[in-house]
Amino acid sequence: MATLENSAQFCSSNGPIEQVRYGCSLGALASVIAIPGAIPITHCGPGCATKQFHALSGLNAYQGGEFHVPSTNIGNREVIFGGADRLDELIGATLKVMQADLFVVQSGCIPGLVGDDVGSVVGKYRREGVPIVFAETSGYRGNNFTGHETIIRAIIDQFIGAYDGPREPGLAEWRAIPAAQFNLVLSPWLGVATAEHLQRTYGQPFLHVPAIPIGAKLTSAFLRQVAAFADLDTQRVEAFIAAEEKEYYLYLRDFTTFYAGCASQYQLPSHLVVVGESAYNLAVTKFMFDQLGLEPGCQVITENPPEAFREAINAEYRKLGGEVAFEVDGHLIHKAVRENDFAGWLPIVFGSTWEGEVARELRAPLVEIGYPCTDEVVLSRTYVGYRGALALIERTYTTVVRASTLA
Amino acid sequence: MAINLKTTHAETREQRLGTITHWEGSADQLARDSAFTHGCEKGCDNGGRRLCEQNTPFAQASMCAENIAVTNATIIQDSVVIQHSPIGCAVSQSFTCRYYRDLAARRGWELEDPQSMCTNLGEQDMVFGGGPKLEDAIREAWQRHHPRVIFVATSCATGIIGDDVDAAAARLEAEVGVPVVPLHCEGFKSKHWSSGWDVIEHGILRRLVGRDPGRKQEDLINVIHLGGSDVFTPLLGPLGLRANLVMGGNTLERLAEMSEASATVTMCFVLSYLATGLEQEYGVPEIKAPLPYGLGDTDSWLREIARVTRREDRVEALIASERARVEPELSRLRKALAGKKGFVAAGAAFAHGLLAVLRELGVQVDGAYSFHHDPSTDSGDPRQDTLSHLVETWGDIPNFTVSPDQHFQAHAALQRSRPDFVICRHSGSMAVLSARIGIPVLPIFYSNDGLGYEGLLTIGRAILRILPRARFCQDIAAHSNFPYQPWWLKQTDPFALVSDLD
Repeated sequence: MATLENSAQFCSSNGPIEQVRYGCSLGALASVIAIPGAIPITHCGPGCATKQFHALSGLNAYQGGEFHVPSTNIGNREVIFGGADRLDELIGATLKVMQADLFVVQSGCIPGLVGDDVGSVVGKYRREGVPIVFAETSGYRGNNFTGHETIIRAIIDQFIGAYDGPREPGLAEWRAIPAAQFNLVLSPWLGVATAEHLQRTYGQPFLHVPAIPIGAKLTSAFLRQVAAFADLDTQRVEAFIAAEEKEYYLYLRDFTTFYAGCASQYQLPSHLVVVGESAYNLAVTKFMFDQLGLEPGCQVITENPPEAFREAINAEYRKLGGEVAFEVDGHLIHKAVRENDFAGWLPIVFGSTWEGEVARELRAPLVEIGYPCTDEVVLSRTYVGYRGALALIERTYTTVVRASTLA
Repeated sequence: MAINLKTTHAETREQRLGTITHWEGSADQLARDSAFTHGCEKGCDNGGRRLCEQNTPFAQASMCAENIAVTNATIIQDSVVIQHSPIGCAVSQSFTCRYYRDLAARRGWELEDPQSMCTNLGEQDMVFGGGPKLEDAIREAWQRHHPRVIFVATSCATGIIGDDVDAAAARLEAEVGVPVVPLHCEGFKSKHWSSGWDVIEHGILRRLVGRDPGRKQEDLINVIHLGGSDVFTPLLGPLGLRANLVMGGNTLERLAEMSEASATVTMCFVLSYLATGLEQEYGVPEIKAPLPYGLGDTDSWLREIARVTRREDRVEALIASERARVEPELSRLRKALAGKKGFVAAGAAFAHGLLAVLRELGVQVDGAYSFHHDPSTDSGDPRQDTLSHLVETWGDIPNFTVSPDQHFQAHAALQRSRPDFVICRHSGSMAVLSARIGIPVLPIFYSNDGLGYEGLLTIGRAILRILPRARFCQDIAAHSNFPYQPWWLKQTDPFALVSDLD
């Protein structure tokens, strides 16, 4: 069983990386921005925060979102003489200018290297009752996935338990964490460390479901698993499942006209190439395998998951008769894709914009499911659950048909 | 002061030019104060005062020189750029790739992904040094792609731990046999991102310009631009000149040929380091006439090019025919834009150019926002003082804010000006801010859009296209807010915080 210590441990992979597929720890500022009422305060170089946000939000299906993040924009003076005083001044000014229910101070590479004592600057404000926490997110110590866990840990430890100021709505869900009966981790590894921490802190058990459920089979199984774990009213759960499945299979039945009937007209793909971070990689692979009858072709997980989880992740793919590779460098990823013999079968590629070139070489349609994603505009689409599966089928086969008719 | 090409480091703009990033007042005052800083050496009495940075205790995330240097190295064809950094710096690769493919489509190049790599430094490397990983990456870049040049860009982290990038580059250059060009662009070293232009231009001047121009190409003119489609050939072709478009994506041949050209024009003096360097090192004259924004300045820009390249016989006919060509649509645009108020947000000389375009189109402008201010240029030639020229030609801009894309200050400046539309460079914070306040916005991604006679039409048409978006913007403004304190939301002085805390 993986533990907090090894899941929190990040090892930058060896060798150079082309076609970068994640940001640094500081990039977890996107997680903070996603919390209504929370604002990150960044103590880093002048371009760091903007670069992370621009990439992880903008070059990621143009999701956008607010960006007016306070930053010390560290210069020569702070590198030479230390930047703690400047951070102190910035926090003071931020409290005058900006309004938030929670401030998350995030440090970048420079304070880590020059040795700023960020914790004690932030501690001063916390003692004054300011809702503010500190998360050490030096870029050389992790990526935006591990940074996400660092952020959450900081909020849990320094805000939820300790904060005793006025209780504004907005972060209410976060404040309710200690009252939860159990925690649910829906990812192959991300969040496990947080759940373990909550188990130790609040004695909360947790249920770890590695694959995000897509489609009726997996979603119904997931709901039954949660119901059993939480000892929920079976009848109510079954009634919900029945209603959702009824609608789902109505649409799937009618999709059969296309899926069975147009199989040769449109060259419907039969093999999977899935390149992306583990959560969506596994979820999409399982759904396409299990519910649409595609075969594993080449699966590559790209977010550098901790070593301790890799065997368990691979076991999930072996259940489908496939294997998964762990690789972060685009050059090697595409080499692995090209080495596959699809034996005359047309693959479909689920990946990022970086897979555009290799998909063209394979004459395979590409559905973008991860960062960077520059050929999709996404507002509120989801591929999760019953209805998400229908959206994924729509997106996938619109792409397939267009590849046939517009080529 | 001469450009120093002996070292691999480009001096920052603040050292060379006295660049500032925070200032508030009128354009007229800023022009006079700038002349005080740099003109007083020439002994003139201009009535200004020493130009000071107006500090504010609050600041929002900005941009860094590394981003500019790396982006503009990456879009050079047949190159591999290595970012010697932790992974986060290289997250911009996704943008640069998109940008390169857009450029390729506009310029008719092969559609392909540009090549860039990150040494992906971790904590161990911070302790023991990243030199070995850099050498591996350079070898890997060579084996994978056989590029004709490899750039190595430094980062804040490698600058602080002190990796000897120059030595590694020199060693590996001997090994792989193509130029390995260091780009010293640590973000913390300059307070403004535009220093990144100097860094890449420094690298080009030192390593990629043909050192021994055996021949002169009398009909070749270097055009240093920020990127986008070729709007220059239609203007310069009739003079019998071929535009050698450099920066903003180009081939190594174009860079090498620069030393053979008969002159260099720069479309934004923020990028004029390269032009000044070409004149200093290779005697290629730098055209110093004010930039071709608006009818009159385009006329004089063409006349100066004609004078320097000895084509005076053809220039008046060109000017007359171009003016006649654009006149009918220009009057229609002026009529359509009459009574409209605009606001400009862009970087220094480029902002001054857009202001001239708006005034030429008959648009009112009382407020502008410049991402930085250069009191002088590398040539030191007063004709490149675009701000003074703007004020002399078109009158004062009463509210002129210098701020490095600070959202909170832009908010105050827009509250003060309340324009009908905003025209801005960088789609960063200004574009979305403006729209969310309820003001339609024209972000200029490809900055050649406003140049020359045609530029007036291009910008005029684009403004008319975006004005109806007010319906979207006002709807959004009514249904969203900004997380500022109420007193700041009402604020109309971008620098109010200075006095408040002092």
